[in-house]
Amino acid sequence: MSEIISQNALRMLAAEWLAGGKAVAGPVRIKPDLVLYRALRSADDLLLEEFQRPPNSIKEFLFPKAEKLYGYRVRGNSIELVESDAQERVQILIAARPCDAAALPILDHVFNWDFKDEFYNRRRAATTVITLACNAHDESCFCTSVGLGPASERGSDAMLFDLGAGRYEVRCLTDKGRALFSGKTEKSDQVGNVPAGPEKKFDSETIRTFVTEHFEDPFWKEHALTCMGCGTCAFSCPTCHCFDIVDAGPAAGNARVRTWDSCQFATFTVHASGHNPRPAQHARQRQRILHKFAIYPEKFGEILCTGCGNCTRNCPIGLGVLSVATEIDHG
Amino acid sequence: MSETATFEPKIVAYVCNWCTYLGADLAGTTRLEYPPNVRIVRLPCTGRIDFNLIVKAFEIGADAVLVSGCHPGDCHYTAGNYHARRRWILFRELLDTMGFDLRRIHFTWISAAEGRKWQQVVTEITEQTRKLGPYTDLYAAGAFKDVPPPVSNRNGLKSFAAETELREHCRKLLAEGAVKVVIGYGAGGPVVVTKPEDADRLVWNNRCYPNLTAYLKRKEIKALGKPAVVVKPCDEKSLVVLEKESQLERKDIHVIGMGCEGVGEPKCAWCQARTPRFADVSLGQPVGPEPPSSPSPNRFAALMAMSPAERMAFWASEFERCVKCYACRQVCPMCYCERCIVERNRPIEIDPAPSAKGNFAWQIARAFHLAGRCVGCGECSRACPAGIDLALLNISLHIAAQKNFGFEAGVDPKADAVIGSYALQDKEDFIR
Repeated sequence: MSEIISQNALRMLAAEWLAGGKAVAGPVRIKPDLVLYRALRSADDLLLEEFQRPPNSIKEFLFPKAEKLYGYRVRGNSIELVESDAQERVQILIAARPCDAAALPILDHVFNWDFKDEFYNRRRAATTVITLACNAHDESCFCTSVGLGPASERGSDAMLFDLGAGRYEVRCLTDKGRALFSGKTEKSDQVGNVPAGPEKKFDSETIRTFVTEHFEDPFWKEHALTCMGCGTCAFSCPTCHCFDIVDAGPAAGNARVRTWDSCQFATFTVHASGHNPRPAQHARQRQRILHKFAIYPEKFGEILCTGCGNCTRNCPIGLGVLSVATEIDHG
Repeated sequence: MSETATFEPKIVAYVCNWCTYLGADLAGTTRLEYPPNVRIVRLPCTGRIDFNLIVKAFEIGADAVLVSGCHPGDCHYTAGNYHARRRWILFRELLDTMGFDLRRIHFTWISAAEGRKWQQVVTEITEQTRKLGPYTDLYAAGAFKDVPPPVSNRNGLKSFAAETELREHCRKLLAEGAVKVVIGYGAGGPVVVTKPEDADRLVWNNRCYPNLTAYLKRKEIKALGKPAVVVKPCDEKSLVVLEKESQLERKDIHVIGMGCEGVGEPKCAWCQARTPRFADVSLGQPVGPEPPSSPSPNRFAALMAMSPAERMAFWASEFERCVKCYACRQVCPMCYCERCIVERNRPIEIDPAPSAKGNFAWQIARAFHLAGRCVGCGECSRACPAGIDLALLNISLHIAAQKNFGFEAGVDPKADAVIGSYALQDKEDFIR
């Protein structure tokens, strides 16, 4: 037996959540060839079909691209700090892909390691994630190479399976998920199935061994030659979480703001003295792979990658984890 | 009392030290009365007035900005005001495209003897701004009409005939040592080929999107020795600008120009530059643009058909998606500064956060630094992961340079750069 819901009922449910003052976000078509995860203004905005993988990720709803940590007022010689008064709204992320949801338990480690990040944790506690299992994949997808798949349940509170004809099987996986769908579904004997995901494209253990043992390998220099040095890979990645803290001056309302940062920028590691321990692009590329496949696993026991393929898909020239890892694994 | 009754406009005046500042001073010493709403910022010369200052004034709450300097012919430094005039002509067009309220931006020539003109100008601007009210529309979201998105016409992979010829040519170049490295297109993106036997990795097909001249600026590539670079005729124009700006010596680069059949990018629909003009060697046959199946929508015209407030709302809605990944900058062959203005943090010039202000300030700086330099390769729009049609800003400045100075970047290697040169007869109709 399974629980099912029609697309109409799902939309009505989303409308109900919105009307109840909850924040709801999901895939929205912005332009004919651009679908992004966005806050829904109305349930009609929600896109449930005909999209592959938005170029952004749901991390921005828990770890926003710019977040005010606190404000300050300058009075003569003294500075007065003003606590951020942001109130957390209950938030529902709907139709996220499994590779997005799986990133959240991974991010939980780093935001609760030596320091408990209250901004992240507050949002995380107020968030319910409803994923939509994948019916298709493209050439950049590689979830199966990092131990996930098109219907991985990791990080999801509930999962939807497209049964066709505007019907979805709902599998509630946590109490948060059950709370949203309880009494809203119908019993059925139809069970959602998804096709197999992308074929396994590389062996992550091989990558880990290579990156730890070949730090000075000429491979890095050769591979990074075409890297343009932008931050698209990191910013579209569901797991990349590096940030910078900047003081936005009077023009931006006197605030200390946390913004995303990327290890691909030359300024990421530059010291006040001018010395830069990662002076060239290959060192920055290597760092990204090293962090994902060796440093993070060593510290937290899992790979910092969910195989969504966004880095490769969005890179202006097609570089990314997939291109590096397949080259390492297959030579 | 109501808001409007208590509204006192804040006006920032950037004035030159030698004429307008003395003119304002004269107004004071001759006891000419004018409204106290103007805050004067004295700079050495109008030629020194950074366009970012105008934007910054609005950001910190100015309701109007006045820029004023010596009359043409009177510049203390001979030509600073001629340079300024040229820059204002272009900058004003960019601000217009972005939907700034041009009624709040004023330019004047006021000499040291014109205390009375200063009095009149300040009085009039203050009154006019008082009527306009506070500048609340700055970076404001709101309703706007849709601008048609750029149309890509990407088809299935199609190799072009010159691919074999290209590989042969590059193999020979590398084998003979004529070049050390070939920057070309490979199956998965750009490739850097250094060995003759690897020349087969090169491809030439309808997926050769990037402008490879951007690699010529990279330290890592320069370190490899003399390069050959594969260029489409549209990208080839970048080399003209880079050479003009002393960023490369043409003789140190072997340019392989490809007769182009189009790669299905928006620019290809109207592209006339299908034949290489400056290359050391031209391969392949150009194929003219196919007549588009439906007339390509004029995105720029649609944008400019809106009211300024709507245009600003359009950009606010576009920039809201910006994550400041700087892909637009990194893929641009003209963005070669060692340290970008947005990375300067002592003091911070542009808010580094992807906030409304930070995003507007960044895109204004990016677009204007490319004024008269952008060759329209469209890589900024293609690279943007948030789908922001950045090329529209460059198109605005391209049209402005053409309209006002008959200039097109990357076409005539002998032509002086638009910014950095001037003409006594430059015409405008907004400086009083």
